[in-house]
Amino acid sequence: MPSYELALVLRQLPRPELISVIRRTAEAILDKGGIIRKLENLGTRALPHKVSEHGVVHRVGTHFTIAFDTAPTKISDLKEEFGRDIDIVRRYIFKVEEPEEHKCTLHEEMLPPAYRKDVQELIATAQRKQKPKYNYNSGLDYYPFQK
Amino acid sequence: MLKIAKFIAHNATVVNITGSRLARTSNRFYAQTGSVEDKNITTRDSDEPIDITNPFEKDPQQCILCKNNITPHYKNVRLLSQFQSSYTGRIYGRHITGLCKQKQDDVERAILRAQQCLLMPGYHKDLDFLQDPKLFDPERPVRPHKY
Repeated sequence: MPSYELALVLRQLPRPELISVIRRTAEAILDKGGIIRKLENLGTRALPHKVSEHGVVHRVGTHFTIAFDTAPTKISDLKEEFGRDIDIVRRYIFKVEEPEEHKCTLHEEMLPPAYRKDVQELIATAQRKQKPKYNYNSGLDYYPFQK
Repeated sequence: MLKIAKFIAHNATVVNITGSRLARTSNRFYAQTGSVEDKNITTRDSDEPIDITNPFEKDPQQCILCKNNITPHYKNVRLLSQFQSSYTGRIYGRHITGLCKQKQDDVERAILRAQQCLLMPGYHKDLDFLQDPKLFDPERPVRPHKY
């Protein structure tokens, strides 16, 4: 089962109701055969802009993330279920990916264009696309093709 | 007397006709000089250019995120907001930020994700982060602007 992260924005609610909303979403994941790894509260704060959801305009929201594992086929069901919940303003499910080992390529990118690999490839493809041209100094004193 | 004259003449012809043989004969006669020549040869060998890597080559450049081994994450809003214009909220390009291609891509994706999750404004910088230190100067880009 791949790991996912559910980023939630809940509407402004008193604490007991907030708890019930989170319990509801967590139980939805567990009912679909998922495992909850982590619950994270990112706090209640003013949203960066007003958001209209379920016919109501929200200006304050509570950010919450749930890290969980579940089967990929259940993700669409979860999305549909959270989409119907009027207490949830935004819901996004992201796949958790391990950061890949990456070597900085800035040095190669800062080279002059003629030394850059991508530019060299561009030049090579341009030369490959050029049509074969008749060479006039090939010894014939006439043009051998139809003009 | 005649014998001596003949001997000298013989030797003289040898010297005159073949200069190369002179060296050999001298070598044969004066072993010490030969050893000096050998020494000269060995010193000449040590003077020849050696195959080594360029000692004056600078360390390869690294972008600021690779140098500090930072992977941009969408919940790390404070870091991401440093790559955003405080006037328009737009993400600065690679020619301004001076990041390598991969890291710039990661930063842009993380910013878009944070904006979707209502963690970050899209049309301005978060007012809490306006006084943050500047990682780069948009007026003085690493590579020239397109315009």
